[in-house]
Parts: sequence; structure tokens; C-alpha cells
Amino acid sequence: MPQGIGKIKIRLPRTVRKGQIITVKTLIIHPMETGLRKNKKTKKKIPAYYINDVSVYYGDQLITHENWSIAVSANPFMSFDLKVDKAAPLKIVWKDIKGGIYQKTVQIEPR
Amino acid sequence: MKKNDFSHSRREFLKKTGFASAALLSFSALSSVIPLGNGKAGNWIGPREAEAAPVKEDIKDKLKATFGNRKIEMSHVTMKAPIIAENGAVVPVNISSDLPMEAGNYVKKIYIFVDNNSNPFIASVDLSPANGRAAFSLRIKMRKTSPVRAIVETSKGKLYGTTKIVKVTIGGCGG
Repeated sequence: MPQGIGKIKIRLPRTVRKGQIITVKTLIIHPMETGLRKNKKTKKKIPAYYINDVSVYYGDQLITHENWSIAVSANPFMSFDLKVDKAAPLKIVWKDIKGGIYQKTVQIEPR
Repeated sequence: MKKNDFSHSRREFLKKTGFASAALLSFSALSSVIPLGNGKAGNWIGPREAEAAPVKEDIKDKLKATFGNRKIEMSHVTMKAPIIAENGAVVPVNISSDLPMEAGNYVKKIYIFVDNNSNPFIASVDLSPANGRAAFSLRIKMRKTSPVRAIVETSKGKLYGTTKIVKVTIGGCGG
């Protein structure tokens, strides 16, 4: 199994003002196996192993929810926009089909 | 000097032909994206489009299953994607829309489809007014050259979309 599955990077603008719309960029380390690939030596199919569910919470409100299929690249990069109107934690949760749950929270502090 | 002149005109020539063919491709893609018309406009298959594979029955079914008989308007959505993707395993796609994001009238969902993948459905994103702007980007896998469709659904049930053909030189779904 590859190292570092579930390692997450979230990038925000350095300074955030209230009312501003910011772009949140995220990256998670994950193989995103499609289940279609074959191991060239053993000719066996590599079982599917991918993230299919992503949720973004701002404060306690679910603001974005994503359904992914196998066709999202390995180590998925994803970005979305967010309107900053309060100081609150931004929690992003990734779930894969084997029950793995990866999450990271960043605090948003508007000036 | 002479050599310079020559290369300059060559560059211009390439530019012009490149733009022309790109325009042609995007036009044919536009006319073929609405699956429920009689398809007369989309029936003409240019040499480049034949290579890029016209709309299969598969994607039509998929769109119909997802959206029913609602019409998809080709406006208000912009998609940034490479014209040529060297590696089909990583194709960056950026979708944004100028539709309003206010309570009661906002972009509810963004869908991404790739026609020639074994499963045309790539991802769907539920947005809320707290996003402030309907924008989303993702890196996707593409098996081969194919139109990429971005379809946006508003909270009022209207559909908007756009299509772009991405040429893939190395496929990215394995197998």
C-alpha cells in the first residue's frame, strides 16, 4: 500500500477580509484506483479504491458536498469558492469506498 | 532576416489554422451537446470530429437519466481545460458560472461528464449560497480524446452547460 494515504494540504489566501470570496485549494494523497487497471505481472485486476464522497463544513453548516466517480485523478486536487462572513472552522471530510475517512480543519479568521 | 520572416509567417499560419479548427470543433461540439434535438446540425462530421468520436448513445442516455427532458442552455458557464492533454490521467478542469449565488436563487449543482470514458459521469458538486460564487476545479482522468461537458443546475431547476473537446495523447484509465 502506498505511503501517505490521507495526507491533506489545504491552501487559503494569506489574509482574508470579511465579505470576501476566497478560493480554497485542497489536495489529498490517495491512489484513486479505478478497478479497471491490471497488475502487469500477475494479470490480476487491481481492486477499486477511490474517494467517492467529499463534504465541506463552514462552522456547523454543510456548504458543499461532492460525489466523485473513479475518473478523478490520483492524489485529487479540488478547489471551490467560499464567502467569508464569520470566523469559523472550515472542515473538509473525504470518504473512500473502503470506509476510510480523512479530514482536516482550518480556522478562518477574517480581519 | 529572411529566415526570420519565414518562421514568422509560418507561426502565423499555424495560429490561424489552429484557431479555425478549434472554432470548428467547438461549434460542432455545441450543436451536439443537446441530446434531444433532431441532431441535424450535429450530423455533419468533420475530419477532426470523426477522430474525436461523435456523441454516443451512452452519454445521451446518461444525460437523459440525470436531467430528464429538460433543455440545457449553452450559456452562463465557462470551462477552462487544456486543448491538448498530454497525460489523460491528470486533466485539470475549471468550471465557473456567472449565475447569482443568493438565497433562493443559486447554483445548486455542477456536473462533469466525459463522453468517452467507460463511465461518463465524473463528479457532481452540491453548492450552497455560502459558496459566494459558483466555481469549482478538479483534476480528472480521460481514457481518450473526448468532449468534456460541464452542466450547471440552478435552484430553480434551470440547466446551463458548456462543452469543450480535450485531445488526449496518453489515456489515463488503465487497462
